[in-house]
Formats: sequence, C-alpha cells, structure tokens
Amino acid sequence: MQQTLFAGILVASLATFVFSCYRRLALVSVGAGEYRFDHPMTRLKEVLVYALGQKRVMKRPFGINHGVIFWAFLVLTLANAEFLISGVFPNLNFTLLPPPLHGTLSLLFELSSLATMAAVSLAFLRRIFNPPYEEARTFEAFFILSMIAGLMAAYFGVHAAEIAMGEASPSFSAPVSSLLATLLGHTPLAGQLPVIKAVSWWVHAVLLLSFMNFLPYSKHMHILTAIPNVFLRSLGKVNSQPREEFAEGRTFGASTVDRLSWKDLLDSFSCTECGRCQNSCPAAATGKQLNPRMLIHAIKESLLGNGSSLPSSADAVAASSAASLIGKGEGTVSEAALWSCTSCGSCMESCPVFIEHLPKVVKLRRHLVEMEARFPEELLNLFENMEQRSNPWGMAPSERSKWSSQLDLEPFEAGKTEYLLFVGCSGAFDARNKQVTVALTKVLDAAGVSYGILGKDEKCCGESVRRLGNEYLFETMANENVNQFRSRGVTKVITQCPHCFNTLKNDYRQYGLELEVIHHTEFIKGLIGRGSLKVKGGEDLGRVVFHDSCYLGRHNEVYEPPREVIREVTGAAVHELPRNKENGFCCGAGGGRMWLEEHEGTAINRSRVKEALDQKPATICVSCPFCMTMFEDGIKEFTGVTTQVKDIAEVVAQNL
Amino acid sequence: MTEPKKIKKPRGKARVVTGKCVACGARCQSACPVDGVEMSEAGEPLILVEKCIGCVKCVKACPAGALEMFYTPEELEILAALANKGEEELDEEELARRRLVDSYRGVWVFIEQNSGEAARVSWELTGVGRELANSLGVELTAIIIGEKIGHLADEAFSYGADCACLIDDRVFSQYRTEPFLDAMCYLIGKYKPEVVLMGATGMGRDLAGAVATRVKTGLTADCTGLGIDEKRNLMQTRPAFGGNIMATIMCDRFRPQMATVRPHVMPMPERRPGATGKVVTESYTISESSIFTRVLEVITDKSGKDKVDVAGAEFIVSGGRGMMAKENFGMLEELADLLGGVVGGSRSAVDAGWLPQDRQVGQTGKTVRPKIYIACGISGAIQHLVGMQDSDVIIAINRDREAPIFEVATYGIVGDLFEVVPALTNRLRELKEA
Amino acid sequence: MIVVACIKQVPDTTQVQIDPVTNTLVREGIPFIINPYDTHALEETLRLKDSHGFKAVALSMGPPNAEAALRKALALGVDRSILLSDRVFGGADTLSTSNVISAAIRRLMDEDEIGIVFCGKQTIDGDTAQVGPGIAVRLGFSQLTLVDRIERIDTGARTITVRRKLEGRYEIVEARLPAMITVVRELNRPRYPTVPMRLASAKAEVERWSNEELKLDVNSVGLKGSPTWVSRIFSPQRAQGEILGDGMNDPVAAALMLVDRLVEGDLLAV
Ligand SMILES: Cc1cc2nc3c(=O)[nH]c(=O)nc-3n(C[C@H](O)[C@H](O)[C@H](O)COP(=O)(O)OP(=O)(O)OC[C@H]3O[C@@H](n4cnc5c(N)ncnc54)[C@H](O)[C@@H]3O)c2cc1C
Ligand SMILES: Cc1cc2nc3c(=O)[nH]c(=O)nc-3n(C[C@H](O)[C@H](O)[C@H](O)COP(=O)(O)OP(=O)(O)OC[C@H]3O[C@@H](n4cnc5c(N)ncnc54)[C@H](O)[C@@H]3O)c2cc1C
Ligand code: SF4
Ligand code: SF4
Ligand code: SF4
Ligand code: SF4
Repeated sequence: MQQTLFAGILVASLATFVFSCYRRLALVSVGAGEYRFDHPMTRLKEVLVYALGQKRVMKRPFGINHGVIFWAFLVLTLANAEFLISGVFPNLNFTLLPPPLHGTLSLLFELSSLATMAAVSLAFLRRIFNPPYEEARTFEAFFILSMIAGLMAAYFGVHAAEIAMGEASPSFSAPVSSLLATLLGHTPLAGQLPVIKAVSWWVHAVLLLSFMNFLPYSKHMHILTAIPNVFLRSLGKVNSQPREEFAEGRTFGASTVDRLSWKDLLDSFSCTECGRCQNSCPAAATGKQLNPRMLIHAIKESLLGNGSSLPSSADAVAASSAASLIGKGEGTVSEAALWSCTSCGSCMESCPVFIEHLPKVVKLRRHLVEMEARFPEELLNLFENMEQRSNPWGMAPSERSKWSSQLDLEPFEAGKTEYLLFVGCSGAFDARNKQVTVALTKVLDAAGVSYGILGKDEKCCGESVRRLGNEYLFETMANENVNQFRSRGVTKVITQCPHCFNTLKNDYRQYGLELEVIHHTEFIKGLIGRGSLKVKGGEDLGRVVFHDSCYLGRHNEVYEPPREVIREVTGAAVHELPRNKENGFCCGAGGGRMWLEEHEGTAINRSRVKEALDQKPATICVSCPFCMTMFEDGIKEFTGVTTQVKDIAEVVAQNL
Repeated sequence: MTEPKKIKKPRGKARVVTGKCVACGARCQSACPVDGVEMSEAGEPLILVEKCIGCVKCVKACPAGALEMFYTPEELEILAALANKGEEELDEEELARRRLVDSYRGVWVFIEQNSGEAARVSWELTGVGRELANSLGVELTAIIIGEKIGHLADEAFSYGADCACLIDDRVFSQYRTEPFLDAMCYLIGKYKPEVVLMGATGMGRDLAGAVATRVKTGLTADCTGLGIDEKRNLMQTRPAFGGNIMATIMCDRFRPQMATVRPHVMPMPERRPGATGKVVTESYTISESSIFTRVLEVITDKSGKDKVDVAGAEFIVSGGRGMMAKENFGMLEELADLLGGVVGGSRSAVDAGWLPQDRQVGQTGKTVRPKIYIACGISGAIQHLVGMQDSDVIIAINRDREAPIFEVATYGIVGDLFEVVPALTNRLRELKEA
Repeated sequence: MIVVACIKQVPDTTQVQIDPVTNTLVREGIPFIINPYDTHALEETLRLKDSHGFKAVALSMGPPNAEAALRKALALGVDRSILLSDRVFGGADTLSTSNVISAAIRRLMDEDEIGIVFCGKQTIDGDTAQVGPGIAVRLGFSQLTLVDRIERIDTGARTITVRRKLEGRYEIVEARLPAMITVVRELNRPRYPTVPMRLASAKAEVERWSNEELKLDVNSVGLKGSPTWVSRIFSPQRAQGEILGDGMNDPVAAALMLVDRLVEGDLLAV
C-alpha cells in the first residue's frame, strides 16, 4: 500500500521535475550560438578542480561551509537514491551490500548528515546576523535551509526509530542515530516508535521530492547547472570580447535575451546569488546602480518572463519581440548601471561558478551605442576624437611625438630595432604620464635595449572604445593598427599601458595578429634578471604599496613582476594593500570610465586611494597610466598627504 | 599674318612646387582652360604635361605660390632674347572693366550703432578708413543708418570722417537685415564708393554678406590688415584656416571693394572734438508692413548673467584647487565682472563643491573657446586642457613654474594667485574708471 | 516641406601646422571633416525632420571627395544628399559659392516647398561667414544669422521665432518662412550615427549635380565668378608663450605687465 502510494508520488514528482527542468533549460536555446566544447579534457579537469574541488568557492569566508554542504550532498545523493528506490522496492537497499561496505556507507551518511546540519545552521545564523549582502535574507533562502535541515532530521528520525525498534542494531556505523535511539528510549515517545519512523519517513520523502521540484524555480537551480557551467566556462581569461560582423541587415550588440548567447542564458540559471561578485565590484561598492549579481538576475527574469514566447533563434535577424533588457523594473538593467562598469573583471574572478558578466555588459553597451547611439554625453567627443584623430582627447596627431622632441629616439624599423615601444595616448599626451614614458626610455637605454617608436604614426589602440561597446569604431582602429604593425614588420612590442598591452595582445589576435607583447614591468624584471640592467638597489623609498592594474593583474595575471622589480630596487618586499592581486580593487578608469564623469555615489578612485593611504605609505606604485591619473587625481583630495604616486618605471629610473 | 621671322614666345609648362599647396579648393584646376590640372584626393594638383599649353593661368590663380612655369634651357634662351620686347595688349572687355572700376570713388565706413550708441569698432574703422582715404586721395564718408542718430555725425567727424551720410527713420530703430540691406544698396548704387568697410561683428557680418551679394561684388571677411597697392586696389589681409595662415585678398576687378574688419585690431583713432564735415541726409523709407522680421526682445548679459553658459562666454576666469576655498571665488567673480565674463573651473573645484557642475571646463565638462581664458590655480591636467586650449588668449596664474598649464599659456605669471589676482583686478578697475 | 543643411567638407584646421623651416602649411595626413558648425546645422535639420516630419536634405559644393561628408549626413539620417561638383565650380569665393548653392536650392524648390536652409555660422577654413547671407539674399529668404535657439516654428502662419547670439546680448527675432539660418554651436548637440545607418549609407546614393543640371553662366561660378581672389598666403606671427615678470617677488608688477599686454593687443573690451 505504502509502496504503491509512494511509487505513484515518486513517478509524478520525477515527471514534474524533469518537465520543469526541461521547460527552464529549453529557454536557454533561444540564445545565439557559441562554441564551448573545445578542449574537453581541460574542461573536465576544470570541473574536478572548481566544481567538485570547490576551489573558488572556498576562497571566501563561509566557502568551507558551502563545501561541506556540497560534498555531503554528493554523498547523500547515494543515500537518497537508496531511499527512493527502497521506498518502492523495500528489499532493494544497502543492506544487500557486504556489511563492511554497508557500514562505511552508513557511517558516511551519518557524518555527512550531521555536518550538513551543522553547516546549514551556520548558514542560517550567518544569513541572520551577517548576510553576504542585505537582500540575501530572502524567504527562499531560509526556506531552503530549513528544508535541508528538515531532511537531515528526518533521516536521523527514520534511522533512530529503526534502531530503537530493533529493526537495526545500534552500531558505530550509525553513531548519531544510535545515540538518538538511546535518547528516544528515555522519552515518552518511546511507545510511539513505529509512528515516529513512519512520520519521519514520510517527512523525508515529501521534503526530498518537494525540494527536488522546488529546485528549478529557485536559485538552487545552480545545483543542476553549476557543474555544466564550469565545464562550459571560457578557458583562459575573459579579457577580450568577440568581434561582430558588420553587414547590412544585422543587429549589433544585445538588448533582449535572444540576442545573448545560450551560454549567457545558462549563466543566468547558474547564479547562486552568493553576492560575491557584487561585493567585489567597485561600482557596486561605491554606490552605483550597477550590481553584477542583479545583472545576471535580470537576464534570468527577462528570460523567464518572455523567453517562452520566443522562437529558438540561433541567427534570426528579424526584430526581436522580447522585452528589452535595458530599462527600469523587473528583468532589466538600467543604462546608468551599464555605463558604470569599469570592466575590472573582479566579478568574474570571484564568481564560484564562472559566470561571465563583462561580456554581457559589453553586449548591452554595444546595443546602446551601435543600434541606438545612446550614451553619456561625454562619449560623443571621445568617439569623434578617436575616429578623426585617433586619440581620446582630440589632440592633433602631430603632437603625439612632442614628448620625445628633446630625446634622441629611433623610429621603429624592422631589422634595425628589435622592439617597438608602443607609447599609448596617455604616455604621449598626458603631462604626468609623459614623465613615465621618458623614465621608461631612460631605463631601456640604460639596459641597451634596441627599440624604436612610431612617433606621429602611432595610433590609439582603441581599447576604450571596444569596452564602451563601439565595436564598429574599434574594428576600424584595430584594422589600421594591425595593418601598420604588419607592414612595418612589428613582432615584439613593449607597452607602458596595460590597456594597450591587453588590446595588442588579446584583442588583435582576433585579427590574425600574434605579437609578442610585454608590459614594461615584466620587461624590466627580465632585464634585471638577465643582468642587463643594474639598479643601485636598497634605496629606502619608505613604505611602498603597489596597486594592481586590472588589465595587467586580473585580466592577464601579471602579479609578480612588478613586485619583484620593487623588491630589487628597494631591497624590501612591497607592502600589500588589503585588496591585492586577484582581489585587487579597480582604480575606476577601466571600461572607458576614464572618459566619463562619475555622477553617482562616491568616487572609486577616492575609495582606493583611501585604502592605500590607510597603509601610511611613502610611495604608491602603479603600473598603468590610467591608474596614475586616478591616483594623482584622488590623492589631491586628501590634504596634508606627502605620499607620492610613481610608476614602476620611474622608481627604476631613479635608481640606475 | 605673322611674320615668318618672328620667333614664337616659348610658353613652357606648369609644374607643382612640392609642399606649398594649401588645398585652397582647386583654384588652379578651375583656372586651366584645357583641363590640364587634375586634383588628388588630398586636394593637390597634378599637371598633365601633355595637355598643358603654358597659359600661366593656374600659376596666377594659385594663392600659395604652389605652381610655377618651367622651361627647357633652349626655351629659356629664347625668353631671354625676347625679354626686352613690347607690352601686352588689352582687349576691349578689359578696358570696359577698367572704366567701370574707375567710376567708383571714395571710402565708406558703416557706423554700427545700437539705440544711438555707436559700437567702438565703428571708430576703429573710421581710423583705418581715414588712412585709406588719404592714400587714395578721396573723401571718407561715415554711413549712419538708424533712428535719431544725427548726433553720431559729429562724432564721426571727430574721429576723422570728411562726410556723414545719414538715413534717419523709424524702420531703422533696430537692426534688421532687410531694411538695412535695401538702404545700403540704395546708397551704394547712388554714390558708387570704391571701398566699403564694416565691423566684423555679428551685425556687420550679417549685413555685409547680404549687401555684397546683392551688389554682386567681392567681400573680404574679418580683416586684420588693410592697405592700398600701387594700382589703387585695396589689399585686405585676414587670418584663415583657424588662424593658422594669413591671406591677402584682392578684389581688383569689381567695385565696391567690401571688407569687414575684426574689432579690437585697428587702433582707436585719436578723437578731435569739434571737427566738422559735410552732412548728407538721405531720405530712404520702407514701409513697416513690407518687412516681415521683428525683434521681439533683447536680452543683455547683465539681465541674465547667471544663465550664461560658459561654453558660449567670451571671457572666462577659471579657478582650480589652488583657490583653496569656496569664499575665494568671490575674487574671481569680481575679475570676471570687470571683463564682462563668467567664472568657470577645473573638476577639482567642482568636486570640492566650490562651483556648480555646469561650470566645469574640460574633458568631461564644457569645451570653451573664449577670447580670454584666465586659469587661476589650475595645474593644467590634459583633462582640463582639452576643454580650453582653443581659447584665443590663455593666461595662467600658478605658483608652480613646472605646471603644464604654462605650456599652453599665451601669458603666464608664476606667482601666488592671492596676490596676483587682486592686483590684476585693481589695475583693470583703474583703467575702467579712467 | 524641405529643410536643407548646407555642409562643407574642410581640412581639420586644428591639425594644420606651419613648418617652422619652410614657413608653409604642413598638410600631410590632415583629414577632411565636416565643418564643425555644419554638424549643428545638420543636427537641426534632423531634429525638424523628427519633430515636424520635414524632409531633410544635405547639400555640399565641393570636389568629388566631399562625398564622404554627404555620406556621413546620410548615416545621420538625412533623406537626400546632393553633391554640387563640377570643374567650373572650383576656386569659388563666397559670391560664386552662394550662387551655386542657391541654384541647387531653387532646383529643389521645383520639387517641394523649402522651409528652412541651415548653414553653419562660418567654416573653419575660409572662415568668412558670408555664404549664408549670400544664399538668403539670392533666394529672398529671411536671413537669421547666429541662431542659438529655435523658439518656435509656426507652419500655419509661416513664421519662425529664434534667439540670436550677438556680442554681449541675445535677440529674440520673429521672421517669415522660408528662412536661411546660420547656427552657432550652442544650438544643439549633434547625434552619433548608428551602425545600421552607417552601413546603409555606405551604399546609399549621393546625388551629383554638375553645372549641366544647374545651368549657370560659367562666368558666374567658380574662380571666374569670384570677385575676390587670394593673392598671397603667409604664416602669421604666433604669439609665443611668455612668462611675465617675477610674480613670486613682485606680483603687482607682473599683473601690471599683463594688463599692458592685453591693452596693447587690444584684447580688453573695456
Ligand atoms: C575621468 C576624469 C575626467 C576628468 N575631467 C576633468 C574635466 O572635465 N575638467 C577638469 O578640469 N579636470 C578633469 N579631471 C581632473 C584632472 O585630471 C585634474 O585632476 C584636475 O583638472 C586638476 O584640477 P586643478 O588644476 O584645479 O588642481 P591641481 O592639479 O591640484 O592644481 C592646483 C594648482 O594650483 C596651484 N596653486 C596652488 N595654490 C596656489 C596659489 N596660492 N597661487 C597660485 N597657484 C596655486 C598649484 O601649483 C597647482 O598647479 C578629470 C579626471 C578624470 C580622471
Ligand atoms: C585663405 C582663404 C581666404 C579666403 N577669404 C575669402 C574672403 O575674404 N572672401 C571671400 O568671399 N572668399 C574667401 N575665400 C573663399 C572661401 O573660402 C570660399 O568661397 C568658400 O567656398 C566659402 O566660404 P567659407 O568657407 O568662408 O564659408 P562661410 O561663409 O564661412 O560658410 C558659412 C556656411 O555656409 C555653408 N557653406 C559654405 N561653403 C559651402 C559649400 N562649399 N558647400 C555647402 N555649404 C557651404 C556652410 O553651412 C557654412 O557653415 C577664401 C579662401 C581661402 C582659402
Ligand atoms: S567588471 Fe568590475 S565594475 Fe564591471 S561589473 Fe564586474 S566587478 Fe563590477
Ligand atoms: S554571478 Fe556569480 S558571484 Fe555573482 S552572485 Fe551569481 S554566483 Fe555569485
Ligand atoms: S599653365 Fe595653363 S594649361 Fe598649363 S596647367 Fe596651368 S592653366 Fe592649365
Ligand atoms: S591653386 Fe595652388 S593652393 Fe590651390 S589647389 Fe592649386 S596648387 Fe593648391
């Protein structure tokens, strides 16, 4: 009787579960195509490390807590499978296994359940007293936690009752249940043992099946999608965006879910709402509308809201009927939010399930710029200047070589000069950063490096316009640069700016140009290492802190070279800022923010400068001209500060 | 027919002198009678040697001296031999034109006025007009059109006019293009002056452009220099290409020769009160009902100074972090008031709350192009420079000699702004009160 | 009703430099752009197209490569772009320029009524500000120069009210349509082309009218129809940056020197 009833319920639940999953996941197919199955072995390995190994998850406080629940979950999957099967076929259970194996399993189940209970209680308390973010105290969250706790309690209830009734014998392989059984024997409930067992069993059954059916409708969908999502992650760093094909009749960027890729949509189902991205996002941290978690959530909302009415659309070009993702209210992101992203990559670096936020931001920006020509007013000048004069400030291109007019520098010529020194717009036009460029040439000269410059012929690499979503303009600029590099036979480039570095190295690759691009910090480290460059060393610069540039650090993982160079010069290790390396905090200039006014919230650069000044440094070292501007700009707001901002190249040049 | 003995004058071929062409708009191509000039993408000529007949027209047409004739050594010899031969003949058409040109006499200056008060540029014109009239040996006439403007005749005499021609009527009480255009054309038709000068102000340029078109003559814009050549023609020198080049413009085959003259460039002539001259009162009336333009309202800067956008201001006094505090901006207000300008600032000043956001000059603020930009306590970060570097005159006051603002400054004072600015204000006030 | 924007393709003169040795213009690599003021004229025609449903036409007289400017106008949204190009139009001064442009506008008038012709305040190369008035006079249109705001357009009463920006004052002026308006930068903020419009404009047709269409007397156009001619071009003397006095020790003297410089240069409007 019970079996038949249960079998019916089980089949119905499984059917609804499968149907729910199908309904949700089928929505993913409205997204545009994207190939994510290359290097399957590497992908499997990533799954082992990051999904099963929970490597990322554990990086943050309470990560272990999640790890415990996750692994216990894996173990308990077996227990639950047995539970469901034996619910229908009572004789089909683990007691059929050889006793030692059965004992071990039972012990594992007991311990896992106990650990889960503890972890869930901790999570419960954390959510009450110290949630990852304010809005994390949702009913859903507590409900799910209670369900899990209830499941564990029911598990023990069943087993304790069985032991107490003598259906099973107390043993070391069921320590908790045995203990409970003993306790149970001393309570008035002792007479109700069969009832307890039955109730516990049913509670367990109902909880388990409802949990399963609740999953697809909650953030716990990630239980199903996270592992595939890790498998399908971008291998390598997400430091570039895909090209667009500029042909008539196409649409550009994305404003609706069907214009995003299926992986973008899968991402939205994989979000665990852990809030790590938002906690590390410089925009969110300084009161901007942008919140990377909400961005992903909005995509999910929008997809659920109108995805089902959309045809699966791999390459459909017809106007989409889906509601816009950009705007106000449920399932949307505001324009202001989109423009406040600094493309720092911190969200992606911290996301335990490898959700890729930045490409989505850029796709949405592309829509605004390319389809609607709608953007903050400051950008009009930027775009026109870039287009007409190939520099962000609209300076006459002939002024580009002014910084070097007093220096005796060689023009780059393949065969005669080994490296191209790509100066970049800031290094060529900005008074403060020109000093860095000059310092860098001093260092290179001292080491006898064979290098040349392009002088007036150098053009902006286009980094900012790409991040700002003006892919059309970027395409023109990239082509001009790539052609120039090709025709001049450039193969090795030293850059002073991490943004140029990333674009030359990672963006231009899409144009078939493989350059050996080296940022000056790496290059100088190499020179010192090879003994080509002698620094005096040991100079006491006082306390030196180093600020990681996002495009050197997070996006390209160059963390150590600048630190080593500082160590060579000062003889002491850098004093690390609280947020450093992968967790470094953006200066506020990336993603084209360098050209935008910061209207909302507090200034990002001020917040970072404060963090640095709190360490009471004598020198703040940077390795990026944008960071330089942001720090110089921010530090002026603090009166009575004598701390200097210096680029690594300047520090080295001073110590030759 | 031609004597068999006579040696034909070698004509040579035109060629381009590299680096001189300014891409003036294909004057050379347009001048060539045989389509012998092709223009490149960059707007520079290419002479098709096989087509060129050596007429020299392109060479003459080129304002930049970017074309020249070249001859083979043999041709050069023949030329040398011919060097002392006779003059070129004039055709009938050319003679008629010269007669026409000679029929125009006298220098006119248009006196721009507003409610009976003359614009300063009018007297500057009178000064330079006087010199031109002297060189030409003709009278200088002040043209005064308006309502109740009789008193301006005496003023014109005091600045050197020989004659004043007045049209005094209700319809001219406020400047409007149509009636002024009609009146001017009527006067020019009647008196045929050889030179007509107007101020290169909003009003002068509005009127001059219209008049020149109707009388079908040449007009040179915004002159900064005027002179007379040996053939009684007016040489008009003016900046072009955004001030990057100066051009001397001629209008020798048409009359009158019209020019607008940039204000504040010609010196103010000395005033000789009591000087007299001939007054000609013309009655030229137009019925108000035939004019379709009406000035509904005049708003002066004074009535709406706070509303004046820095982007359109002609004088800007800007303050940066060097100002130290909000209260100190009063000092800049005072200076700006004296100059008739507005106060702007760097982003630092705006961030500090010393100025409203709409006064920020720079990359993420406003782009300004005033006549004078005074930067006080501003270091000159590129984000600031891009917003103001196209100003006509930049004055930097900063105590740091190395500040990049000095790289773009026309005049710089290395000093403490709290001392320099008050000194400047005092001096200007003295001047104004004097 | 048609609104016309007159746009001129000009060298980007802020990039023009004088070679200090030869004293000639260094023009190498200097791009051509739409005269900056004309981008505002263009924007205003587009706004009227959007708000009043007028037909927007861009006109330019120039060499064949001026087509680039007109293509950009198409990308921004004008309905038609017309290039007035002919050998005989070359070397024009403002009188012959306005002749050609007015003839073209007259030709448009055969098709539909013209409401407003927008011109820039002036160009950055010729810098004369004379073509606009020339067009107004030739066509008998109301002439409204230096407009920084359009207050009202009454198509019924056929009037327009604008604000003109003059030295130290503004004038609110009402005039009859059709009108020729020259615009200053403060009038509006030009738009940016969308990519689909850019791609479409690359293929769209820029009409080309030569003198065969306009049938003007060849002696009234181009160099031949120009009363003025440029006889000489030379480099101006550039005011080099100058540090005045010793402001540290004698600020008052430095301030006096500065005022003297300004008075000498007649830079003060006091
Ligand atoms: C994204 C972004 C956008 C920006 N946009 C703009 C913008 O639109 N406009 C803008 O202006 N800036 C902008 N900036 C800021 C810019 O980088 C500079 O920080 C800012 O212009 C500096 O302002 P400042 O010159 O007033 O201050 P500072 O650089 O601090 O200079 C103060 C100067 O005052 C001088 N000084 C101090 N006391 C005195 C005294 N008693 N007498 C004389 N001189 C004195 C000092 O020598 C110093 O040179 C932007 C920055 C960023 C990052
Ligand atoms: C160095 C130099 C100096 C010159 N000086 C004079 C002079 O003093 N007097 C004179 O008559 N000519 C002069 N010219 C010739 C003049 O530049 C040309 O006639 C030109 O075609 C129109 O004048 P502009 O560029 O000054 O236009 P502006 O009159 O300043 O232009 C006003 C507006 O008219 C419209 N417009 C002008 N030209 C065109 C066009 N080709 N196509 C479409 N719209 C147009 C635009 O909307 C423009 O914003 C000079 C040329 C040079 C190279
Ligand atoms: S890239 Fe940086 S700024 Fe942008 S959403 Fe992510 S964390 Fe925030
Ligand atoms: S996007 Fe990633 S980091 Fe952000 S809340 Fe979701 S799972 Fe967490
Ligand atoms: S010399 Fe005469 S024929 Fe020869 S290219 Fe010049 S204009 Fe043409
Ligand atoms: S006339 Fe002279 S300046 Fe003009 S295009 Fe021809 S060569 Fe160049």
